[in-house]
Amino acid sequence: MSTPGVETATDATEAPDPLEHPQPQRGGQRSPGRRRAGLRRAALDAAEGYSFLGPNLVLLGVFLFLPVVWAGWISLQDTNGFGDGVFVALDNYGRLLADPIFWQSAANTLLFTVLVVPLSMALGLGLAVLMNSVMPARGIFRTIIVLPMVISGVATALIGVLIFDQNNGIVNKIMRATGLGAISWQSEGIPAMMSVVLVSLWWRVGFNMIIYLAGLQAVEPELYESARIDGAGGWNQFRYITVPMVGPSTFFLLVMNVIYSFQVFDIVFVLTGGGPGYSTSVLVTYAYENGFVTRDQGYAAAIGIVLLVMTLIFTALQWRFNRSRDQVG
Amino acid sequence: MDISRRQILGLAGALGGVAALSACAGFSRPAGQASGSNELTFTTWGTEAELGGFERAIAAFEEATPGATVRLNVVPYQQMFENIDAQLQSGTEPDIFRAVYTNLGTYAGRDQLLDLSQYLDSDFGDQFTDPLWEAVQYDGIPYAVPHITDTSTILFNKEAFAAAGITSVPDTLESAWTWEEFDAVLVQLRSQLPEDRYPLAYNWQSASVTRWFSWLFQAGGRFLEEDLVTPAVDSDAGRAAVDFTKSFFERNLVPQNNSVKSATFASETFFSETAAMAFGGTFLLPDAASLAPFEVGATFQPRNARGGSDLGGNPLVATANTSKPELAAEFLAFLTGRETQLDFCTASSLLPTRKDLVGEDLEFEALPELGRFFVGQASTVQPEDAAQFASPSVDAIRTVLSDQLEQAFIGGQGTDDTIRNLSDGIAAATAR
Repeated sequence: MSTPGVETATDATEAPDPLEHPQPQRGGQRSPGRRRAGLRRAALDAAEGYSFLGPNLVLLGVFLFLPVVWAGWISLQDTNGFGDGVFVALDNYGRLLADPIFWQSAANTLLFTVLVVPLSMALGLGLAVLMNSVMPARGIFRTIIVLPMVISGVATALIGVLIFDQNNGIVNKIMRATGLGAISWQSEGIPAMMSVVLVSLWWRVGFNMIIYLAGLQAVEPELYESARIDGAGGWNQFRYITVPMVGPSTFFLLVMNVIYSFQVFDIVFVLTGGGPGYSTSVLVTYAYENGFVTRDQGYAAAIGIVLLVMTLIFTALQWRFNRSRDQVG
Repeated sequence: MDISRRQILGLAGALGGVAALSACAGFSRPAGQASGSNELTFTTWGTEAELGGFERAIAAFEEATPGATVRLNVVPYQQMFENIDAQLQSGTEPDIFRAVYTNLGTYAGRDQLLDLSQYLDSDFGDQFTDPLWEAVQYDGIPYAVPHITDTSTILFNKEAFAAAGITSVPDTLESAWTWEEFDAVLVQLRSQLPEDRYPLAYNWQSASVTRWFSWLFQAGGRFLEEDLVTPAVDSDAGRAAVDFTKSFFERNLVPQNNSVKSATFASETFFSETAAMAFGGTFLLPDAASLAPFEVGATFQPRNARGGSDLGGNPLVATANTSKPELAAEFLAFLTGRETQLDFCTASSLLPTRKDLVGEDLEFEALPELGRFFVGQASTVQPEDAAQFASPSVDAIRTVLSDQLEQAFIGGQGTDDTIRNLSDGIAAATAR
């Protein structure tokens, strides 16, 4: 081991790698032979790095970046998908601005995001705290809460249809039996959106809980012990220790949940089909309707590009302003 | 065991090579394309009974046509047309696929289907009923063969009808209820049923919204003029159809979740005894026999200016870029032959398209006594009704119809606004 501040040239384990960080030769010069060797080594390192990255880069390129660029190109065309489209520059984006259903779908997407993201995170954190405590049969409860995660969104939504069918659904049957009267889950806008939010929460809370649980298990118990000695109650421990310490998990979940909410499709498509009217239509269901029902694929691609830009802007803002992202939880 | 970096890189390279070679192999022959010179690919969806019918027909065709083989590719209905569209766009489409009459115009009008007139005998169309032969033509050219058809009639809960005092229903097409008589039946049922049960559930949900046109046809109207471009829905018939169907919701004659965008289908509402009657096709008969906890009866759809019904069922098409057009046309003709069609229809509880089978007493396996109502109802589809579905804009018209009917039924939109929006929307759709 070298003594701090007294680095010796013979200490190979501590000395900087001369190939990665070339040290100047005496008089600031290196011999041409050593420079060539350094370059060769750097090239080899780069080749190794790319060989590991290669398969993923190919997959990302073919299945992510290429489709995005292609969608951008299609969004500049008037096309039904068959034959060559007609280049219309930004016309499809101009149509979006004057399309009230697009704005309604955008507003619904935002409303869905505003409701589902904080609620799913708050419920996930609450359940994680509960499951992290000494609680009987918590393994069983964890499994029950996480179970919807392993079910596909379509299957979850089909279960939602059984629950929220306004004639024969379980919820309305219970409400009728208890004299509360039925709710028009399928024929009025606000209850329909509520049903979408509730089913989404059921589906998403388990994921949030798991991430928070992992974060919580990395929090040192000594912190709580110290706080208790200083007289902090349960709420203060939660407010001043738990919440800040799971900051990185919160940042991760915020970004993931917002992206999920912007892209929500399967639950809305199966549970309400965007109806009644367009009261639960979101940007992706509206894009699907234009792309695959009306076959106005240029317009649908324009909606997709707008969604991509919205998601990128939100993620960039989060990245810029959320201070907890670099902390270790 | 020590593994050097060189060994890891070697292994990664080998795996990458295998993956690359696999990918190359994948590109060499797209899944939808046949490899053999005399092999046809045929993409369809279907029930077990329908797929069995196709398999028997394929076996018979292969026996009758030495050297020819047909590769059957079965996909779920929900993905059928997204898959076909993607395959058509990428040039990996099958030689033959199963379509629906209401999307034929979409494909034919965009040059995606094989013009069959050059491969079929000139009198080939004479063996089919007029509306169905009309339905497979675009611009006077046949782009499909009418394989089977289906249409909706009224299915009713015999016990619920008896309890409401409705003891007889029309037994012949000529004596079918008029709209006024049908309305009186609905009102009578409403007065006798508890609040959470309803007289009717209509099967216009989702892509089936075009079944609403049955009311328009019954009122003597049409949605497109003969040029298939000019909207024709702004008419007395159009107003009557909107008024009548909208009133079902206003008077609680149907459940509020029976609207066109609902996730709950009419058959579910009927089989759960929430509705005393429902409009439905022959494909519901097996479920009616096995699932319904009550005895199911049938009668004809009501009539107004005339009788009318929806054009259900499936044509079969060959794709424009098939490399075996003669063989494809030969296979399509074989599938619509008398014996093949009779076998398919009786096994699947579906209606034939051939004139010489329409009068035949088809022995459906489930509730065979109800089959005649469907056969009779199918005869109310007129060639001019079918011809309107040949418009390449039917997909866009379907979206307009769905939006406007939803607004009229549960959004409080008035009849005049609905008709005006329908007319404007159809005009915009056909102008694209």
